[in-house]
Amino acid sequence: MNAELKKTLYNISALADLGHAITSEQDFHKQIQSVLYVVTGTFLCGKGAIFYSEDRESRLTVLSQKGFDSVVVSGIDLDALKSAQKNLPYFINNDAVLTRAGAAVAVPLWVRDGFVGAVILGEKFTSAPYTEDDFELLKAIGSQLAVALSNHELFLRLNDQLEENRRLYDEMRRIYHDTLQAFAAAIDAKDVYTKNHSHRVAKYSAAIARELGWSDHDTEGIYVAGYLHDIGKIVISNEILHKTSPFTPEEIEQVRKHSLHSYKIISNIRFPWKDVDNIIRHHHEKLDGSGYPDSLGRDDISEGVKILSLADAFDAMTSKRAYREKMDLRTALYEMKSCLDTHFDNKIMLAFCRVLEKEIRGELPDPDILPHIDKDFDLSVISGLLEGLIKELSE
Amino acid sequence: MKSTRFSVSSRLVGDIAVIYPSGYLNNLAGKSLIEECGLHTANGIKKLVLNLRDTGFINSIGISMLLNIIEDLKKVDGRLCFTEMSRTHTDTFDMLGLTPHIVVFTTEDEALQFLKETPGPEPKDRDEN
Repeated sequence: MNAELKKTLYNISALADLGHAITSEQDFHKQIQSVLYVVTGTFLCGKGAIFYSEDRESRLTVLSQKGFDSVVVSGIDLDALKSAQKNLPYFINNDAVLTRAGAAVAVPLWVRDGFVGAVILGEKFTSAPYTEDDFELLKAIGSQLAVALSNHELFLRLNDQLEENRRLYDEMRRIYHDTLQAFAAAIDAKDVYTKNHSHRVAKYSAAIARELGWSDHDTEGIYVAGYLHDIGKIVISNEILHKTSPFTPEEIEQVRKHSLHSYKIISNIRFPWKDVDNIIRHHHEKLDGSGYPDSLGRDDISEGVKILSLADAFDAMTSKRAYREKMDLRTALYEMKSCLDTHFDNKIMLAFCRVLEKEIRGELPDPDILPHIDKDFDLSVISGLLEGLIKELSE
Repeated sequence: MKSTRFSVSSRLVGDIAVIYPSGYLNNLAGKSLIEECGLHTANGIKKLVLNLRDTGFINSIGISMLLNIIEDLKKVDGRLCFTEMSRTHTDTFDMLGLTPHIVVFTTEDEALQFLKETPGPEPKDRDEN
């Protein structure tokens, strides 16, 4: 094989090395360092540097360099580079600083109309001159490198945009939840006895949903439904809500309309979670069909509705009302047990008991239910009760 | 690009360090070879033998690293000999025009003998290191 053919094969092999360096799974700076070794190894240069134009205009950053004094490298004439022909190597003759530093050849790197960086190479180790063939090869290498730098810039921009979008999304989500809380507070403020009720129902519902293995997204949906389930009470008069004596049939009718009012108020909102409006509409439905507003039967009641109705009833039982004292935990659990299969679903009750059991055992980092419960209860009695309920419901 | 795990070992023979790169010299792992040579020169060793008997493929990256070692040694007025090069190595060095600029011996003993007969650095140079 003659020397010329061998040299051609070496150059082809160098281009393959370059492709491998650019597409390898190394981090970007290692990729560029590999590219610099490929280039300096191909042209036998002791000195070489690859620059990146971060903002495509005003300044160059050294990505990788070998052999040069970094101070000299930073003194590169950007205007001269940018006024040279795109991606074409040229001899550095007029830059005293660079020639004194041993730089011999520069390649301005462009992608379309964007200046992305440059390659600077020193004299060859063998003192042989750069040939036309060398410049052809360097042009090909420069074009590939330019695309790699441009892609990196695009990647960084996309990454920045993604980070910004994520930040904006988190901010919007926070504002959204703050707004929901403000709504819930407005509902609960109508009645001193229901203060924080919506907040607690949201927490209890989410805890049950998590226990049932719901996804974070769906759990967030039922949390929101918990916050808004009583928003319809805004249109019910304070006289009725604050009444301490038994309701008249007309008043019962009025109060029962709150779930429909809630549905009407929120049904125009396009939530990112499915079924929030229906969960709210039906949170007073019962398995035996005696609920309202649509008297749905057990097969028509969704799991979300079953969760919210149980959480709502539990908080109502364990909170003080104008017309009664709050129930203790044991009594509330017995009351719920007595309503199983007519009002409450066994599976949801089982999940609720498991959440309570975990809270009592301290297995949950942020207890949702116990903080609101009367602290006078005997833990061993409640644990025994829960154990029995769980056993019974699991069978 | 083929690759095998690259490693470097070395031993001292008097004031000469013999370096044994092993594997393909074709990616950034080869920087450990530059570092090994740098460690010896930092300790005042300015005569190196690079024994390439276990070095397989050397690509453009590897050539650049070898140039790096040669240039670094030049800066401290050191000497480098290559030895036990394969036919492929010598063909590559010849084709690139590198051979006239380096000292090559067939065996390690020949390289060591040559460097032993080469005057070492002045003692004060060693003190400076």
